[in-house]
Amino acid sequence: MPIIKLPYEYLETLTGTDRETIINRVPMIGADIERIEEDHIDVEFFPDRPDLFSTEGVARAMQGFLGLKTGINDYPVTPSGISFRVDPSLAEIRPFLGSAVIRNVSLTEEAIESLMGLQEALHWAVGRGRGKVAIGVHDMDTVTPPFYYQAAPRDRAFVPLDFEEEMTLEEILGRHPKGMDYAHLVRDCERFPLITDAEDNVLSFPPIINGELTKVTTATKNILLDCTGTDMKAVMTAVNNICTALADAGATIESVEVDGTPIPSLAPSVRTVSADECRRLLGIPLTAEEMAAHLRTMRFGAEAESEDEVKVTVPCYRADIMHDWDIFEDVAISYGFENFDAALPESFTTGKPHPVMVMMDGVREILAGLGFLEMMPFTLTNERVLYTAMQREPNPGVLRLQHPISEEQTILRTDILPMLVETLQINHHRELPQRLFAIGDCVETEETFQKVAAVSIHTEADFSEIYACADALMREMHIPYEIEESDDPAFIPGRRADIIVDGKKAGVFGELNPDVIRAFELDAPVCAMEIDLRCVQARFSL
Amino acid sequence: MAELTYNEKRLMVVLNAIKKATPEVIAGELNTTAAAVVQFAHLCADKGIASLDRTVTVSYSLTTEGEQYATLGLPERQVYTSFRNETSMKDLQAHPLSRIAIGWMKKKGWVAIEKGQVKKTGDAPEGADEVALRDPAASREGILELVKRGLAEETETTTYTIAITETGKALVEAGLDLREETGTLTREQILSGDWKDLNLRRYSVDKLPKRIVPGKIHPYQRLINEMRSVLLEMGFIEMYGDVVQSSFWNFDALFQPQDHPAREMQDTFYLDSTTPLPENWEAVRDIHEHGGTTSSVGWGGTWMPAKAQTNVLRTHTTGLSIQYLKDHPADPVKAFCIGRVYRREAIDPTHTPEFEQLEGIVMDKDVSFRHLMGFLKEFYGRMGFEDVRFRPAYFPYTEPSVEPEVYVDGLGWVELGGAGIFREEVTDPWGVKYPVLAWGLGVSRVAMLKMGLRDLRQLYRSDVDWIRDTPMMQGGRD
Repeated sequence: MPIIKLPYEYLETLTGTDRETIINRVPMIGADIERIEEDHIDVEFFPDRPDLFSTEGVARAMQGFLGLKTGINDYPVTPSGISFRVDPSLAEIRPFLGSAVIRNVSLTEEAIESLMGLQEALHWAVGRGRGKVAIGVHDMDTVTPPFYYQAAPRDRAFVPLDFEEEMTLEEILGRHPKGMDYAHLVRDCERFPLITDAEDNVLSFPPIINGELTKVTTATKNILLDCTGTDMKAVMTAVNNICTALADAGATIESVEVDGTPIPSLAPSVRTVSADECRRLLGIPLTAEEMAAHLRTMRFGAEAESEDEVKVTVPCYRADIMHDWDIFEDVAISYGFENFDAALPESFTTGKPHPVMVMMDGVREILAGLGFLEMMPFTLTNERVLYTAMQREPNPGVLRLQHPISEEQTILRTDILPMLVETLQINHHRELPQRLFAIGDCVETEETFQKVAAVSIHTEADFSEIYACADALMREMHIPYEIEESDDPAFIPGRRADIIVDGKKAGVFGELNPDVIRAFELDAPVCAMEIDLRCVQARFSL
Repeated sequence: MAELTYNEKRLMVVLNAIKKATPEVIAGELNTTAAAVVQFAHLCADKGIASLDRTVTVSYSLTTEGEQYATLGLPERQVYTSFRNETSMKDLQAHPLSRIAIGWMKKKGWVAIEKGQVKKTGDAPEGADEVALRDPAASREGILELVKRGLAEETETTTYTIAITETGKALVEAGLDLREETGTLTREQILSGDWKDLNLRRYSVDKLPKRIVPGKIHPYQRLINEMRSVLLEMGFIEMYGDVVQSSFWNFDALFQPQDHPAREMQDTFYLDSTTPLPENWEAVRDIHEHGGTTSSVGWGGTWMPAKAQTNVLRTHTTGLSIQYLKDHPADPVKAFCIGRVYRREAIDPTHTPEFEQLEGIVMDKDVSFRHLMGFLKEFYGRMGFEDVRFRPAYFPYTEPSVEPEVYVDGLGWVELGGAGIFREEVTDPWGVKYPVLAWGLGVSRVAMLKMGLRDLRQLYRSDVDWIRDTPMMQGGRD
């Protein structure tokens, strides 16, 4: 989540109140204070609220929340007369362009830092790492309109930001730090996006890097904004948030003709919401008037139109308002979560455990009663543990992770016994005897089902011991079964048996093959069993 | 004084008669072994009624090799007598014992060696070692020398003298109950009532028993079961579902946009398989693209069915909740589930790629955000967290959203899970008519708080001794 740096002095100037009040109240608008430093605080905001990614935006919200200034701000936009042309061949590369002219900025170091912070947070939350939207701000007085957004050949050269010599677009991807970071976004295109002025000077190579020519400094008076991307809605979210933040800091906004359409408008949208629906969703008794007052506190424009209807004017920067309930949440925040009268509803319901859980609880009770300790191993494992060390053939239904995070965890378990033997290995230095069991989900060709396994390791562990346990478990589960000699290679020939239920193999038990014992670096006899609990489910029709 | 055992009493009776004796003598009287007598005497000595004196004597005897030399003489003596006054080193080396003998002859000063010639220096008088070789007791200096050379060995003999003390005498003279002791009672003794007249062996209560451990359900499973009980008591029905889910149920049905970062491969385990879309998938598509029939504007763009078909290991159990609501459209619904979920994270003390998540949903005609807070307070209260407070939060599939915090002594306010009302974009495609309150929390986080666990790996790769040592009736509800 984006962490925004809020310098106290700048924040106090913009908000008109002291830092203590702000620090106390900022978590209540939906934020986590990460650090309180001598000259600033770092605050984490939610990714759906890009309007809080700048000091200017936080000041605007705090003014409302503290009652210093409520209702919606007006953001007038006048035409700049400047035009921007978009090359149609960008359609397959990076089709959308948003722009604006921002005049009379007074950029202190703090204001520049806030702007850069906003840009970075927007790149992350709205731009999806610059793929969906990338933002460029330029000192407009260094270039000459009109501007051209084009698909340029890869050998076109210019001086990128923070460099002194010219580089081709191709070279930037290979050598410039930002070029290397974001090369994956454009590498597959034949031509690259480029923004130039009337004299063919390069402003920007979106979404990679701006030119050194238009670098914004404290001396910058007028800004040209470019936002390019693959989604027009997201592009405009970025444009609106940057323009309104700078407007709140005192700048004036002018529109740019992008292929004949003036951008941006910064006009609010209007939603008429029902006070009754809000009351029912939140469970608080509010009149339409009171609701409107809460919304003004949250910097919406809001008027009660009737007993039930509230006309809400939504500022252009509130990209998170998709649905009426999004507006109701802001009513709840303004009302104060601490002021809700928490209560339980009166409907009567009865609880009921899931049959699979009831079955597993029963098996746990039986095995704990037989003296076994429960273990809860991971369900992710690898072929070595699950099959190779057990001397078994891989189950054809085993599911493999496409992008495992380690060699230890590459597949989903189809059996539990190998994990339990691995648990013995983890505990090889602990006193014997050890009698352990594990029960839980296994997966075979997308089907989730349950197995239970038990092991006993000590100097006298043998076939008779585990036969007695398997027999007790089957009897207590109330499952009639038969026994046949087994050919499971994990066990010693002549000391292994299959459990047959309704004519189908449901489990296996016996003495582990010493080669298996050694594969898990153990040195005492181990007797073990495993039962597929689908045989129980089948009989109880869970 | 502690009670005497039957054997100790018998020893005291014999001692009282003979006052002082070796264990061997007493063993004859008691018809037992000398070792047993020493053991009884130790116990009596501890009680101050007898004394036990230990004497260690050391004796020496020749080894087999030593016995040989006792007859033939030490190797250096044998070689010394094999030549007259002088001989060449070369000739001397022909003698079979020369390897041992030459060194010793030189060391004892019997010969001088110069330019390959060996010359006797005197008449080589008999040394203490040779005296001891004839009679091991004759020279202490000599025998120690032989022990060093491995020609003799030392044997320690311990002898005991047992005597009765004045306290002991008084005790015996006061009279002792000499009936034989009984260990385990027999069936006959119990039925006949004879046990009343028996001298029952007494057990020391100071001696700890051998430690045994009962079979146990895992401490973490016990915590999970405790949470299940809380929710069952509160009238919730338990859900259970597959670990493998389609992206449709795991993400799309929850209104997660198809380009959401949580859906990327670095956060989610994808499988190389697909699941066909369920009936009514078009409603989910419409919601994503333009908000469907709700007041939502949707995410815009084009929703891709192929992306929704890809299977994943479930990243939460919320996909089960929405499927449950689809199958149970009538109100009221109160359901929960505790299940394993998967996130693509490397294993470290506070992260595991799989962990348990608890999730509860309530769908009812008149439920509201206020009731969600009521459920959260009730649930956390029953889990032992009395103080609960709420803060605004953001989750992609709830609106409004809330983050509950509980107060934990020593830690302060701790975030514990997330909650909210399912967005209409989530519930509308399935004809859910009323608001759905939902909350979830990481069960392992509760385990860390309630069991004082520092390392989550302990839950899944448990130390047997941790399970053995964790009391079953601990960390329960108060």
